[in-house]
Amino acid sequence: MIVGGIELRGPVMAASGTFGYGTEVPLLDRRKLGGMVSKGIFLRPRPGTPPARIVETPAGMLNAIGLQGPGVESLVRDYAPLWAGWEFPVLVNVNGESAEEYGELAARLDGVAGVAGLEINVSCPNVDAGGMYFGNDPRAAAAVTEAVRRRTRLPVWVKLTPAVTDIGVIARAVEGAGADALTCINTLVGMSIDLHTLKPRLSFRTGGLSGPAIRPIALHLAHQAARAVKIPVVGVGGIASAQDALEFLVAGCRAVQVGTATFVDPQAIARIHDGITEFCSKRDYASADEIPRYLPRD
Amino acid sequence: MTGVREVARETFVISLAAPPVAASVRPGQFVMLGLNPGPLLRRPFSVYRAEGDLIEVILKPVGSGTRLLLASGAVSCVGPLGHGFSLDPAGGPVALVSGGLGVAAMPLAARAARSLGLRVAWVHGARTADELCAEWEGEEVVWATDDGSRGFHGTAVGAVPSVSMQVLACGPNRMLAAVADRWPEAQVALETYMGCGTGVCLGCAVPLARGGYDRACSEGPVYRAADVLWERLPTHLHYEASA
Repeated sequence: MIVGGIELRGPVMAASGTFGYGTEVPLLDRRKLGGMVSKGIFLRPRPGTPPARIVETPAGMLNAIGLQGPGVESLVRDYAPLWAGWEFPVLVNVNGESAEEYGELAARLDGVAGVAGLEINVSCPNVDAGGMYFGNDPRAAAAVTEAVRRRTRLPVWVKLTPAVTDIGVIARAVEGAGADALTCINTLVGMSIDLHTLKPRLSFRTGGLSGPAIRPIALHLAHQAARAVKIPVVGVGGIASAQDALEFLVAGCRAVQVGTATFVDPQAIARIHDGITEFCSKRDYASADEIPRYLPRD
Repeated sequence: MTGVREVARETFVISLAAPPVAASVRPGQFVMLGLNPGPLLRRPFSVYRAEGDLIEVILKPVGSGTRLLLASGAVSCVGPLGHGFSLDPAGGPVALVSGGLGVAAMPLAARAARSLGLRVAWVHGARTADELCAEWEGEEVVWATDDGSRGFHGTAVGAVPSVSMQVLACGPNRMLAAVADRWPEAQVALETYMGCGTGVCLGCAVPLARGGYDRACSEGPVYRAADVLWERLPTHLHYEASA
């Protein structure tokens, strides 16, 4: 199946930041993996935030990793050659503190064997500059998308933040700027206080909330985005079972990404893939693309 | 789960049938245990012993998760994970220094040391005599209690005999920082928050003396004591208020 210019091997992908650079999670049956998105990368290496970086919450978790990563040079040298030999596509999640920096990163990844596409992160809540602040302004989001689009021939997906009044406005803005697909949604900003220390549990004070706690919100926002644009929407947010994934497909998504569930069950992606296949065969759909979408247009 | 025994006040050893883990686990490695229904995230546990098809872990029912774990018949287990202790066959006698639940990492280390013909001094501390883990293994045992109710009055670190030994330690991070002061070359098994245990979430960051962070679940949980930037490592973990 081709989604947003990328040939996916199936409808279930690994979400950015939950699958490293694809060299971990040895327990997963990778034949069931539709594709993966790398951990978010910047031009330069970043150490990330001090611990504590994660805390569990009811039906979810907060994380503030701070986009720890080796920088684009190391990614191209150490990981892309491995990806070039893999049978599923790898998108690189790209980040920057300015539209120019996103564009520069896109140019550095253009034509690199093993990189199937880019996912622009205009929605990370855990960096002091950039990230989410591009994603909640339609003009800034479009400017970043254009800056990337101009510097690469690779398919460009844009990962949107839920921290907006109307996701349809942002979705249309980045579609107009040349995005090939949307990933909906990134984490929601949250906080947790330690009553022993009377301070935030996370050293970054706030973190991104993920897991089943955000699923109904993610489902609604992915649906709203899908109603607003013609490019495909890839749903992500708290998916832990095939039923969850099927809800996103019916709500208008072409594919889904699985994140936090992989932390809990390294085989979650394979399990979800199998459940979708079983649903399709019971209902006589030749593939997940044949599942009828509930997508009323305004 | 096949058995439970109390080894100190409110401290239990549970046995689990986990043949692949039992067959391959090395000293200092851990497993991630999960419950469904239960808290979302798995919890890391050092493997206390491994025999035949069984592994044992040690826990205090402090949070809702560990209480549920103790009461449940079946748990889901991922492991063994992480890099454990490495013993130098020519490094002389071994001191296994543990505080509280840190004792969890020690029986496998004792067995490995003795199988290399190394003499083992087992040094274990707790707040009070009834909180000391009663089980030990080695040629010599030294007890320590914060209140002086049994053995050395003070911490396990203070109770270690002053002779040259390979020091392996596990316990609260504050205790391990004291280990680092006294024996920079000691091997310490750290406790951190963990999301996945498999290297992908980057939640278990350990601040390093040379700068940056790495992952307790993958590069650790055992570190050379001098390599850790102790003042940046959280000293107290609170799982109990969550989920």
